[in-house]
Amino acid sequence: MSADDWHVADDDLRAYADGAARPPWLWSTEAHLGTCPRCRRRLAQHVDPAAVHAGWARLDAELDAPRPGPVEKLLVRLGVAAHTARLLACTPGLRRSWLAAVGFTLAVTTGAAHLARSMTVPIPLLAIAPLLPLIGVAISFGPRVDPSYELAVVAPLHTFRLLLLRCAAVLSVTTALTGVASIAVPAYGAVVLGWLAPSLALTLLSLALTPRFGPVAAPLAVGFGWLALLAATVQHPTGESVLFTAPGQAGLAAGAAAAAMALWKVRAAFDTTHHLGRVADPSTRRTI
Amino acid sequence: MTTVRAEGLSLRFGRATALEDVSFALHDGVTGLLGPNGAGKTTLLRILATAIPADAGQLRILGADPRGAAGRLAVRRRLGYLPQNPGFHQHFTAFEFVDYIAILKEIVVGRHDEVRRVLHAVGLDDQRGKKIKALSGGMRQRVGLAAALLDEPALVILDEPTVGLDPEQRMRFRELIAQIGEGRTVLLSTHQTEDVATVCQRVIVLNQGRIRFEGEPVALAGMARGRVWTSPARADGALAAWRTGSGDYHHIGDPPPDARLVDPSIEDGYLMVIDAASLAGRTA
Repeated sequence: MSADDWHVADDDLRAYADGAARPPWLWSTEAHLGTCPRCRRRLAQHVDPAAVHAGWARLDAELDAPRPGPVEKLLVRLGVAAHTARLLACTPGLRRSWLAAVGFTLAVTTGAAHLARSMTVPIPLLAIAPLLPLIGVAISFGPRVDPSYELAVVAPLHTFRLLLLRCAAVLSVTTALTGVASIAVPAYGAVVLGWLAPSLALTLLSLALTPRFGPVAAPLAVGFGWLALLAATVQHPTGESVLFTAPGQAGLAAGAAAAAMALWKVRAAFDTTHHLGRVADPSTRRTI
Repeated sequence: MTTVRAEGLSLRFGRATALEDVSFALHDGVTGLLGPNGAGKTTLLRILATAIPADAGQLRILGADPRGAAGRLAVRRRLGYLPQNPGFHQHFTAFEFVDYIAILKEIVVGRHDEVRRVLHAVGLDDQRGKKIKALSGGMRQRVGLAAALLDEPALVILDEPTVGLDPEQRMRFRELIAQIGEGRTVLLSTHQTEDVATVCQRVIVLNQGRIRFEGEPVALAGMARGRVWTSPARADGALAAWRTGSGDYHHIGDPPPDARLVDPSIEDGYLMVIDAASLAGRTA
């Protein structure tokens, strides 16, 4: 009897279909079915169509299942719900290129603080670090940076909630990176943490001003305002500034709280594209 | 059933008037929104999609007033929207992108099954796992349409979905739109009178921010009745004239010498309406 003449017995096919076949007979049957159309046709008579359909559905689900990237995996591991992690993973401010730029900037400012022995306050780090979350948040939401921005605005998920989620993600990451940079200059003491209050104040103020001035002008104005404030208060060559004293930090924290309240008041403006301002409305630039 | 009722909608961007005193109603089926560039079509669709509010006028969508937060949310839960330039996260697969929009639409139970259903509905079963950046323009439009169909919306707003598609893709897209329009309201903004002729039960013509015509496509064609001619030579003074494939000239306007009156098409009616509106604008 040649190999072509041999076929799986009906009882064995039935056992295979029921999942009752055991090795090594299972392996032998499987190998034969792979090369024998006749036995495959016979097998179909023993298989429950509903079970086959369910099997295909399971396979489809497995193949379609979104494959989370490293950021998303990390967020889920940290306890963030899978669907929230997916929303956060789309945050432009968490892109590798932006994070690399933040890391590089912090390395440079930390290095400058190390080299400047005449300073008692690491002013390059304290001046630049609050701008990083400000820029990070500015590039995380809006028509210029989020390709599906318009779909996000008209979706039932509250746009302000999406904005806050993304802000929280950007702030967390930049805070962690800046925290690491602060540890790298321990000689300056507790003053190296002076970036924290202005980071919050600048970011919240920028968001609160966005409905009035638009998503580009608001962070620009706030950023330059911060630099101007530093230019007016920093003493040469020590780098000391009233902003990094206890009263100055308390004032910045109060400013952050006031900006948070102002942002809460204007939150409804983020529910439509009104927070872009009339002039910046995409329909006026692209087409009416 | 009346899905949308707009009364006196107006909107200005700075000194520019985008919409002025726009009133209309939408019912189940496909309604075409025709108009030249800058007519105000996209602005009107964005108001209906709750992306921007109107400056003035009354608007009821699916029984809700979108000016308030609660009404806006009620509309958004039953709305499907395909913007003119739908942006895609290029690193996503088609499935992942639609799944992302499903999360934004707060679909919790059976989300992946729903994503699979809409991708099947637009004929993208075999393309689900492909990255968006690897898809053709027509396929991407289908992905956008699939996202718009999530959660069985009662109102679907499509902003020029057939732009940039080749003739076959355009035909397939029209077929899809016709299917979608069965049992729900679809508003289809387009430049193409063929889109209106093939799939729309009603048509609105918008020009310079005002509605110039609202009715059935046949009635739009009827706007040019008795004003469309063919003749062997071009005649000066026609509103529009062009040489056809047969060598004769197609005229819209007063009859040229040796002219033969022909039945008007939707395009003829549209040109008549737009031209009358432009004349009115110039003399106003």
